[in-house]
Amino acid sequence: MAVGFFLADRGGMHAVPLAWRGVIANKWRLVRSSAGIGFAVLLMLTQLGFQEAFFAASLRVLRGLDGEIFLQSAHKYQFATQDPFSVSLLATAKTVPGVKSVSPFYADWYDLFWKSPVDGKVYLIRGFAFDPDRPVLLLPAVNTQRGRLQATGAVLVDRRARRFLGMDRPVAQSEINGVRTDIVGQFALGPDFVSDGTVIMSERTFASVMHASVSDPPGVELGVIKLAPGADPAQVQSALRRALPASITIMTKDQLVAFERAFQANLSSAGPIFAIGTIVGFVVGMLISYQITFAEVSDRLPQYATLKAIGYPTAYLLRVVLEQAGLNGIAGWIPAWLTSLGLYRLIEHIALLPMQMSLGITLLSLALTLGMCLISATIAVGRVIRADPAAVF
Amino acid sequence: MTIELAWRILTQDIGRTALALAGIFMAILLVFIQLGLFFAVPQGGLLLYDHMRFDLLLVSDQYEYQAQPGAFQLTRLIAARNSPDVVKATPLYFGFVKWKSGEDGLWPDLFVIGFDPASAVLTPASINADLGVLSRPDTILVDNATRPIFGPIEAGRVVDIADRREAIGGQYVLGTGFMGLGVALLSEANFARLLPHRGLAMPNLGAIQLKPGVDPSGAAADLQKLTGPGTTIFTRPKLDAYEAGYWTTRTSVGLIFGSGLLISIVVGIMVIYQIVSTQIGRQLPQFATLKAIGYSDRALAGTVTAMSLIIAVAGFWPALAAAALIYDEIRQRTLLPMTLSIGHAALVLTASLAMAVVSALLAADGLRRADPADVF
Repeated sequence: MAVGFFLADRGGMHAVPLAWRGVIANKWRLVRSSAGIGFAVLLMLTQLGFQEAFFAASLRVLRGLDGEIFLQSAHKYQFATQDPFSVSLLATAKTVPGVKSVSPFYADWYDLFWKSPVDGKVYLIRGFAFDPDRPVLLLPAVNTQRGRLQATGAVLVDRRARRFLGMDRPVAQSEINGVRTDIVGQFALGPDFVSDGTVIMSERTFASVMHASVSDPPGVELGVIKLAPGADPAQVQSALRRALPASITIMTKDQLVAFERAFQANLSSAGPIFAIGTIVGFVVGMLISYQITFAEVSDRLPQYATLKAIGYPTAYLLRVVLEQAGLNGIAGWIPAWLTSLGLYRLIEHIALLPMQMSLGITLLSLALTLGMCLISATIAVGRVIRADPAAVF
Repeated sequence: MTIELAWRILTQDIGRTALALAGIFMAILLVFIQLGLFFAVPQGGLLLYDHMRFDLLLVSDQYEYQAQPGAFQLTRLIAARNSPDVVKATPLYFGFVKWKSGEDGLWPDLFVIGFDPASAVLTPASINADLGVLSRPDTILVDNATRPIFGPIEAGRVVDIADRREAIGGQYVLGTGFMGLGVALLSEANFARLLPHRGLAMPNLGAIQLKPGVDPSGAAADLQKLTGPGTTIFTRPKLDAYEAGYWTTRTSVGLIFGSGLLISIVVGIMVIYQIVSTQIGRQLPQFATLKAIGYSDRALAGTVTAMSLIIAVAGFWPALAAAALIYDEIRQRTLLPMTLSIGHAALVLTASLAMAVVSALLAADGLRRADPADVF
């Protein structure tokens, strides 16, 4: 790693890993400076992690849908809102060439009240339903257990739901909207910022807990379409557009995810809040790094002046200082990144948020760290430029 | 001599001290922001209650939080109304309806609050000025913080709500809190028309006003006997504590901003520590001299602590001013009620002083290295 920081042999001068030597010269100071920078980096990493977790949680179900093209009401503005349409439209979609299957996906966020086995109180939960013969979710635990959902009243519950719902407990029965339900299995999904827990059931059970009459079955929230082998998604999408009324929107999975992401980004407070946290972490890190570089440069002023006196150009010394600041940044970033892995796990466990270290967060935090160290070093380096051999000695 | 010496060290190199102040300023500002967010969320949950006239609040025992309160029978509230302690008992009704006049053909969900306009149960002047308008049939008042997805919300616009044509009678200023993306007020009769399945028999909140001089906690216990099982009666302090507890423990909010607050304090300690230990490093010969002429480590540690406290206090005031600006900005961008109260400022000042002392004690360790024999 340090190779890039070893000084290149320029103008006939010896290549000396001066920056590296400078960094490791005083171990105690290194510990101190990496702790200072590290905490600022850790602050940025937690804020970035929360932001990612917020989006990951709100997009988790959409990403986990098992289909290529989706039908939903043209009036639906976000996933977590009811805007059902008539199930009969799915039959129309099925006749379009290139469509292999159309499966109904039912969902409700506002009307299902789950009786918690923890305290016997009822809580609002999220419910998903489908035809057990036509799976619509990519969750393996749901698909292996879907046969058990055939019986009316059978439900699968989310063992990662918030604890007060008691879905992680080995309980065989509970109630939804006063209707007795048999818990036939569990899956792992986790809450998002709207729902605390999820129950998955068959369409028949869904109709029964929604107290829907036989003549007026619940509407479909999403139509999940799988394409015939070799079918062109764009062509099928436009054929569906011609076959279906304007009250239905036809989206690919990417479009569906992008639509939801845009809604969350525009209308929730999460983006600006976590951006502010990250920016503040950056500025604080810059100040810490400035202090460090300033102290180091001040201490080594005689050495720098000596180098100048024996003929090293100022540009060379500037590089040494900048490289040293970069190394200090990396020395702070590495422990912070490692600590954040543990911190993410801890937060994921306590808050049930999908905190995932991603390549994006890794690179962004590294770039921010180097950015704050190099900017502050550039400001602090003025002293080296002015280092006058005659004045120092 | 401790404080005077600390002062001299700080004023000796103004440039350096300015830099130290900038560092501490940012560290304290960071604590301000995280603390503000931590309290803003429960505050957002209390938004409606802070603008409602009541001494006691009657709710269902299924009450979760303000926007998910459960419902109880109106007869329970009427029973409370018969108590001699009670001046007024007003039911409020909550519901969601589809606003079918959104931007781009979208139908966002509107949170509606139904109440008797004559009760004047809500305090904002912008609502009470329009109570007459609210009494008109099929007329609503819209919160001015309602999001742009609902389209224009000017008075006079006629919109389709749950397949009824409703006129916007005007806007009011209260805030949407955690009720939804848009909130509107309706008269009771209008509420019953828009949500026929709900009717008026099952209100969500009962706002009870007591006769002047009646003790709220005593009255709450008495009224509970009248309203019976299945209901809960909150006094204001109990309600505030309950809502704050809900947001900080039931949701991930407490953890997200709590961890931010914790890290910001640690970062603050690191910043002040860096600054103080740099100062010590620079003044090491001087400190060694003081030691040589008989000052104890403790006295020198006292000087360092005084130095650290002085810069913390000096950094606090600009941070307070900057926090006021940033709170404003966050309030506009996120609609979270970030308010800079004296309580917050006092809390942050206390935290800053504690951070200064901790970092000074950590840095004073370096003083032991000040050996007169080494330095000269």
